[in-house]
Amino acid sequence: MQGMSDIISTKDLEHLAELARIKLDPTEEAKLLKDLSAILGYFDSLKELEVTNVTPLTGGTTLINVFRDDTERESTNRGAGEELFPEKENGYLKVPPVFK
Amino acid sequence: MAKNLTIKNFHDGLINKEFTALEIAEGYYARIREKDGVINAYLSTREETALREAEQVDISIAKNEKVPMLAGIPFAVKDNMLVKNEITTAASKILEHYTSSYDATVIAKLKEQKTVLLGKTNLDEFAMGSSTENSAFKITTNPHDPTRVPGGSSGGSAAAVASDMAIAALGSDTGGSVRQPSAFCGMVGLKPTYGAVSRSGLIAMTSSLDQIGPITKTVEDAAIVFDVIRGKDPLDATSADPENSDTYREQLLNPDFSRIRKLRIGLPKEYFIDGLDPTVHSNIEKAISKMKSLGLSVQEVSLPHTKYAVPCYYIIVPAESSSNLARFDGIRYSRIRKQEIEGKQLQELYLMQRGEGFGAEPKRRIILGTFVLSSGYYDAYYDKAQRVRTLIKQDFEKAFESVDVLLTPLTPTLPFKIGEKVNDPLAMYLEDIFTLSLNLAGLPGLSLPVDKEFSTLPVGFQLIGKPFHEPDILGLGRLYEESR
Repeated sequence: MQGMSDIISTKDLEHLAELARIKLDPTEEAKLLKDLSAILGYFDSLKELEVTNVTPLTGGTTLINVFRDDTERESTNRGAGEELFPEKENGYLKVPPVFK
Repeated sequence: MAKNLTIKNFHDGLINKEFTALEIAEGYYARIREKDGVINAYLSTREETALREAEQVDISIAKNEKVPMLAGIPFAVKDNMLVKNEITTAASKILEHYTSSYDATVIAKLKEQKTVLLGKTNLDEFAMGSSTENSAFKITTNPHDPTRVPGGSSGGSAAAVASDMAIAALGSDTGGSVRQPSAFCGMVGLKPTYGAVSRSGLIAMTSSLDQIGPITKTVEDAAIVFDVIRGKDPLDATSADPENSDTYREQLLNPDFSRIRKLRIGLPKEYFIDGLDPTVHSNIEKAISKMKSLGLSVQEVSLPHTKYAVPCYYIIVPAESSSNLARFDGIRYSRIRKQEIEGKQLQELYLMQRGEGFGAEPKRRIILGTFVLSSGYYDAYYDKAQRVRTLIKQDFEKAFESVDVLLTPLTPTLPFKIGEKVNDPLAMYLEDIFTLSLNLAGLPGLSLPVDKEFSTLPVGFQLIGKPFHEPDILGLGRLYEESR
């Protein structure tokens, strides 16, 4: 593992922001670079722990195979949150094209 | 008009016809109008609907019908839980206009009890923060000192109860968000065992950690609310109630103090750190002495991986948050105008809507989460954090071999000044140092004030229990409270 604290460059940050679908302005970028460097630096302490033989805890519960009965139920969220969208037809939203 | 009612004495007064639910609800709205201009606990209120709910309770009382324990209770709910047909914002601009399409399971349970829902309370945006300063809409102040924060992220709920603008409230707790604001406001807060309460209808932040819990004036009230909201729910696959029995319920609501006095208390030595504020420290010592004087045995225990809990947590939280918040694409749930769409590519629309819709802390966590999950860094951060999480959980399991309950400080500092930490995310993250390990391990935790009356600012302490052993910490908390 390389040094964590200086790991993110401006270019990396712009790439991450694009992956995360968030537009950042230059002021936000500068603040984020500073914050992320401090936070990642703080994570460095984890490096001293040897965990190769430890099983990861991948969730909050040890329950497995939880199923609901295969019965009809009222759908609570179909179409939810769409009422604010300007153009829609038969439950479809008219969004801009993916390619220009 | 009756003031500073608890659930217990409201219920007694209601069924003895000392007052009506409507009178009390009107009194609470009057208090909200009088005080909330300074405290800013509420993001929205629903007076007309709530007063009708209160009238329904009064009709039942007039007919001498038996009413549930929470009937007529003026209740506040953190604005990240859905109440059908009400706006739910999660204190984010991206959800500013979103009307809830269904009731969260906890809300459905409160409605079944005929609770009077006064309104929705302020929080750090998407429950990300420890001061409620990260809200996109307003800054809630501490009822004990308006220059200080109420804690967070459930700061609105804690401030509402502390200023008697609600008898009780719900908050959510991912790393301390119910317990820490309860401590800062001098209230009682319970973070239940992971899985004890359904999260259906809670806007998810970190699904492997989030739990809903009550914020109340007394430990007894916390037990009453917890008993109502707990239980397995088919709509949340992680929910469970392995201890569900009449005995369990009896222990929860009417603790047998002779059993409680036999509980062995452990003090994790790693929690008594140098950086602990001296006032906080002396108060914790006071709580420990009190426990001893009540006849409880106290011994030191060790949780050796404690110092890794904050970095472990702040890797797992952004990772899961970045996934959970991906559903807010700025198209569903958000308002958008036709002219803003025209001439754009779909991706430009996402970038614009999410760039404008999220505040600084969600952006920071989404980007950090995207980073720790990205190819090349996943093993070094996310996978590592999950393994460290196992070690933290095992520490607790080992400690619980020799003790039944742990007693710890709740916050490293007293309530801090508004503006003091909001621009320094790392300083803010360290506020959660005593609370977040429980979430990583899935354990229940109770926050309660050391003293009933305090001269300056309240100090809380924490009781940690074994999984699904809420009756232990609530019973011990009640013993402490009633002999305080």
